[in-house]
Amino acid sequence: MRLVFWGVVLMLVVLIVPTCLEACPACKDLKEPIGRGFNSSIFFMMAMPFTVVALIGGSVFYHYRRASKNRDRTDTP
Amino acid sequence: MSRETPVEGTSRPESPSENARDRPSRYELPQDIRPMSNARLGILVLLGAEMMLFSGLIGAFLVFRMGNITWPPPSHIDIQLPRAVTGINTAFLLLSGWTMFQALRAIQKDQVKQLRNWLLLTGALGVLFLGIQGSEWAQLIRSGMTLQSGVYGGIFYVLIGCHAVHVIGAVMWLVIVLVMAMAGRFSASRHVGVEICTIYWIFVVALWPMLYALVYLA
Repeated sequence: MRLVFWGVVLMLVVLIVPTCLEACPACKDLKEPIGRGFNSSIFFMMAMPFTVVALIGGSVFYHYRRASKNRDRTDTP
Repeated sequence: MSRETPVEGTSRPESPSENARDRPSRYELPQDIRPMSNARLGILVLLGAEMMLFSGLIGAFLVFRMGNITWPPPSHIDIQLPRAVTGINTAFLLLSGWTMFQALRAIQKDQVKQLRNWLLLTGALGVLFLGIQGSEWAQLIRSGMTLQSGVYGGIFYVLIGCHAVHVIGAVMWLVIVLVMAMAGRFSASRHVGVEICTIYWIFVVALWPMLYALVYLA
């Protein structure tokens, strides 16, 4: 019972103290131009590893599929 | 032991007309169960690293470009980048991508003479691009925009210079491929050297319009 009571008190304290928190470490203050610049740069660079992996993976997959098709065509009498 | 030395008991009968270079090495898997050559995979990994390098440089450019209310900054407001000449230069580089692709198509059809001609033309276009870039740089340096003159000059020369270094590297690679083509080292069944050089060249060509749009036009 005491645990529930203190749990409710803690929840109320959290709810009634309106403190702004930055949930995303990548997001900067967008009011300033330098903040917008950093933001665009971070998002651009964050996207790049996914692009590279997709490029290499896509190319390997494409060549694997093409080689499989060629092999099937050769095996068919 | 040399790479082409046959191992006792594993050698296969060969016809007199068969070229030794066209024969796969004993270390290579047969073509039908090898979806991608090691060289092609290697060049893709290299291009992945190159993409990360250029994304870092473009990221730095974006910070400066968007972090400044006026671009060029007030200290460089009187400096005009040569957009028209660079636009024509971009067309030359794009054309070199097409000629390089034609070189690859020529060797796929076993047209060695055509391969040499297309490689020569591609190299000439690459050198022309570098020459025009060099003359533009000389003009910009004369007008007071240097690497040390501020963030505008610094990011311009680092970003565009890094691409120019890649074009120089690609031209040097192309010369090596051309020499090998003249020595008759490539054929329709064995041209991985031309193939990976083409992939690298097309990467360098495809990167340039993005840099041109970002640095010269934005």
